Amino acid sequence: MNNLGYVIKILFVEKKDIFYSILCGFIAGITAVGLFASSGYLISKAALTPSIFTLMIIVASVKMLGIISALGRYGERYFSHRGTFTMLSNMRVSFYEQLEPLAPTIFRKYRSGDLLARVVGDVEALQNFFLRVFYPPVVLLLVFLCTIFFTALFSIEVALIVFVGLIVTTFVVPSIFALTQRKVDRLVRQRRGELSTKVTEFLYGFRDLKIHQQLEEKEGELHQSVQAYLDEQERESIHNLFSQAANKFLSLLISLLVLGVGAYLVADGRLDGIYLAMFAMVSLTVFENTTSMAAFPSYLEESRQAASRLTAVVGNDSEQDKSQEVFENRSIQGVPSIELKNVTFAFPDETRNTLTNVTLAFPAGSKTAIVGPSGSGKSTLLQLLLKFYSVDQGQIRFNNDSIDHLSQESIWQKTNVVLQENHFFYGTIRDNLLLASGGLSDTEMEFMLKKVKLGHFSLDDKVLEKGENLSGGEKQRLAISRALLIQSPLWLLDEPTSSIDALTEAHIMGYLFEKAKEDTVIVVSHRLTGLEKMNQIIVMDHGTLVEAGTFEELMDKKGYFYEMKQIEQSVFFVN
Amino acid sequence: MVGLKELALEQKRKLVLIVIFAVTTGVAIIGQSYLLVAVVDRIFLKDATFSDIVPLLIGLFFAFFARTVLQYLSGRTGVKMASQVKGNLRKLLLNKFSKNTAQSSLQGQSGKKVSVMMDTVDEIDSYFSNYIPQVIQATIIPLIILVVIFTQHIATGLIIMITAPFIPLFMIIIGFKTKDKSEEQLDKMAAFSGGFLDTLQGLTTLKLLGRSKEQKETIRKSSLDFRDATMEVLKIAFQNSLVLEFISMLSMGIIALELALRLIIFQDITFLTAFFMLVLAPEFYTKLKDLGSAFHTGRGSMGAAKKLADELTETEKPVLWGTESLERVVPLAIELRGAGFTYGEDAFTLKNIQLEIGPNEQVAIVGKTGAGKSTLLNVIAGLVSVSEGEMLINGKPRSNFKEKDWFDRLSYISQNPYLFSGTIAENIAIGGRLDATRVEIVQAAEKAGISELVDSLEHGYDTPIGEGGRDLSGGEKQRIAIARAFLKSPSIILFDEPTTGLDLRTEKILQASIQELSKESAVITVAHRLHTIKNADKIIFLDNGELLATGTHEELQESVETYRNMVSVQQGGMAN
Repeated sequence: MNNLGYVIKILFVEKKDIFYSILCGFIAGITAVGLFASSGYLISKAALTPSIFTLMIIVASVKMLGIISALGRYGERYFSHRGTFTMLSNMRVSFYEQLEPLAPTIFRKYRSGDLLARVVGDVEALQNFFLRVFYPPVVLLLVFLCTIFFTALFSIEVALIVFVGLIVTTFVVPSIFALTQRKVDRLVRQRRGELSTKVTEFLYGFRDLKIHQQLEEKEGELHQSVQAYLDEQERESIHNLFSQAANKFLSLLISLLVLGVGAYLVADGRLDGIYLAMFAMVSLTVFENTTSMAAFPSYLEESRQAASRLTAVVGNDSEQDKSQEVFENRSIQGVPSIELKNVTFAFPDETRNTLTNVTLAFPAGSKTAIVGPSGSGKSTLLQLLLKFYSVDQGQIRFNNDSIDHLSQESIWQKTNVVLQENHFFYGTIRDNLLLASGGLSDTEMEFMLKKVKLGHFSLDDKVLEKGENLSGGEKQRLAISRALLIQSPLWLLDEPTSSIDALTEAHIMGYLFEKAKEDTVIVVSHRLTGLEKMNQIIVMDHGTLVEAGTFEELMDKKGYFYEMKQIEQSVFFVN
Repeated sequence: MVGLKELALEQKRKLVLIVIFAVTTGVAIIGQSYLLVAVVDRIFLKDATFSDIVPLLIGLFFAFFARTVLQYLSGRTGVKMASQVKGNLRKLLLNKFSKNTAQSSLQGQSGKKVSVMMDTVDEIDSYFSNYIPQVIQATIIPLIILVVIFTQHIATGLIIMITAPFIPLFMIIIGFKTKDKSEEQLDKMAAFSGGFLDTLQGLTTLKLLGRSKEQKETIRKSSLDFRDATMEVLKIAFQNSLVLEFISMLSMGIIALELALRLIIFQDITFLTAFFMLVLAPEFYTKLKDLGSAFHTGRGSMGAAKKLADELTETEKPVLWGTESLERVVPLAIELRGAGFTYGEDAFTLKNIQLEIGPNEQVAIVGKTGAGKSTLLNVIAGLVSVSEGEMLINGKPRSNFKEKDWFDRLSYISQNPYLFSGTIAENIAIGGRLDATRVEIVQAAEKAGISELVDSLEHGYDTPIGEGGRDLSGGEKQRIAIARAFLKSPSIILFDEPTTGLDLRTEKILQASIQELSKESAVITVAHRLHTIKNADKIIFLDNGELLATGTHEELQESVETYRNMVSVQQGGMAN
């Protein structure tokens, strides 16, 4: 419930919409009751042949109540939906505020990207919280209380029955069904998960399954999972139907009771018969609202789960503390030199070390290339320098100052970064380049686009989400131009040109090194070409440093680098 | 594949049931209303005693009971119908996926297919569980009510007849208007709703650039814009129901007025009839409004149905097999005669391939990306059927032979082999050799250079891998695939050689293993290594789906200019 408390807190920012939703909902509900009450009264009155004038007043009030009720319903819908969407907006902002300090460390846990989509979906799912969980019971309660008060004016007995009915149909029955609901829900999700896994395995492993003749067996298992999932779904739906039907029947029984007791009182002479029709109509109308309470538990459960998943994402304090431990707010002065001493690192969820006992030095103004097979720990090394994670053992020092004394932000401020995956936002090329630095002129940006051979782009060209309308090479060049526009004294580049052809690569990197003449540059390279001018080349394999030296030294040594170079030369890159 | 309506009509029995439930519900509503009215009438006007009306109250109890039970049964039948349809659809899809090899495994859209199988099928649900019962009820019950009203008091019936048609009419008019409007807003809304995800995904980039704090406002703004756009559409929908509410309110007002006037001035109807009409009329309009909301429910499923129809109509020539056995002792020779393959109209095609591969022959397939190398490998594997020409095994059509016998003699080592959920031992033993002993499995693992790693694991060969198990690196997966091949000792090995990124050890193991395997088997490699090409007995040089030349490296160097160019560009490119 604590999780929902967080949601409610955000919800209450929109007090006005909540108030109007409840007010309009109340007006709509109570006038509907009034409408049926007065029409019941009208017809009874008419049977006693009153004056036309009396009749007209009642007819007019029936109509007026009808119109007010319809308008109230409209208002309720309007304000409750507007409130919901505003709440979602506040929710997103608040969630973002909490997630922001945790990035990028947190993304390691949720690498799939699916999770972020799920987060978005969970926020979306919370729209039902206000619309179906939070305010409708308030409205329901208000309408009932007024109705009970109204009936009490005529008959305490009838009022009492309505009150008991309220308790039974809105609290007792839904709570009973809520208990079973959770179990049913859990089973459905479990079966769905199983089926989804099997379908995924079947499709992704199709070729291997086919060749290894496992297809039929897997298909058989799949059919079973399909059935198991369907059975659970069916059970859930029928469970819901049953709880709705049960609630509906109870509310009808209450109306029957109202009618019966009312009839008894009239027959007994304790109630004027003219009100009997009115009571019957009132009871039938007011209990119509309780039917929706049957669905209340499932919406509550859904909101509760969405809220707890969301808080689980941002609520992991231990990791946050580790990366946010800033002892002193120092910053990097001048062109940095970096040293790694016996650095060992394993990702939190893995047992294998990604880096083992790495000792390295990047002198100020030096140019270093890191090479090695995929999975050797090159990118991780770079991420440690960016303080995405803290090392488990050993030390990283910037200008002889431990990285512990530096905040993430103070490192990033002095760094031009190109990662393997660079994000581009929905907007224009200009929007995306301006992220580098706010005060850039169009001329500067256009100049840089030309330098990375993107001269054919206009600053007004559209960029879609994740830059999906750009090719891999274009994205890399755009990321490089963004880094070039920052002009910080440290360059950390992770395979910045892997999708760019060799000629363009040489050209762009040539310009980059010219600009970075004085700076410290560290490039993770996927190719072994163009490394001749580097001050040092670091060769990694399986998280350890295999060898280091200049291109010539390594080639003369005829070690790991030399062999990699031989293989690369024999590999047919045919694109 | 047929439409949703046809799928529903397939379940006639259930539909008839729902109709019966609707009719009886209608009767129950009439009965309920009548009994209610009768109770009031007797007590209020006829001065009856309480005991007089007890039978009526009991009758009312049963009417209420019948109404809820029938409602429940109708919904339940709808749910059952939905289950049946969903089950059938999933079966059809599975069948389709397993028969249509090329579609399932080669076009790389597995993610999309998983979502069709799971989500799209589930989206169909509400059509059967909600829409159909609701539509049937909303059509039948008002009719029954109307008939009863006409028999009791024609004037009320006439008022309804005149006003009621406005409801569906407005629904249609407004429905069209909303549709245009919503489509207009849809692009806008899609852009907004993606904004939050976009920012979350780009958070690392934003933080590195020191821009993350400002994004808060962007999120707020785009969220609020999204709200406003959505409210535009919703407002129209709410206005619609307001109008509908007014129409029904108005007609009920007219009915009430007419009844009252009759009662007082003309005094030509009884209180019973008047009250009865007054109770029935709202029931009529409520059901009619339900029909409107039912259409809304149905629309969501229509899109899903179309997606499913598209998925199911994609057809492909099935791969046929015969009954002739392929004894393990018989060497295998493969021949393609004028073979061609296409993924569909306008799609990539492999044309007129002539080639022969003898037992134990080492073959390298060479060509640019998109030249058709992988497709050719799949044709040779018997995973897809040639769409023209033929494939012969030992001089006879491939389709003469037993599927099992063929796959028993074949291994396929892809760049990204699939690991099944199971232990390492199970993963190595998979494929016709489930009877393999642990000793044999360990031997195969040793030959594939994976035994060291396996021994280092706590549970050794019993370590679970694959879905939900331990994650292996690309190089390790490939070594598992090679261990499979060693255990199987097939006659033909299809090998998709990796490009780069392997560590030296895996690189060496791969080379040594393939060489070892090639002693006993024909190895057909999609080649990326110069030495593989140089060592091949035969090179198949593909370009744009066509066979440009076959021969040894030397022969092609000598006689084929494009090949010579390609090799020299490669070597030249590497030299600088």
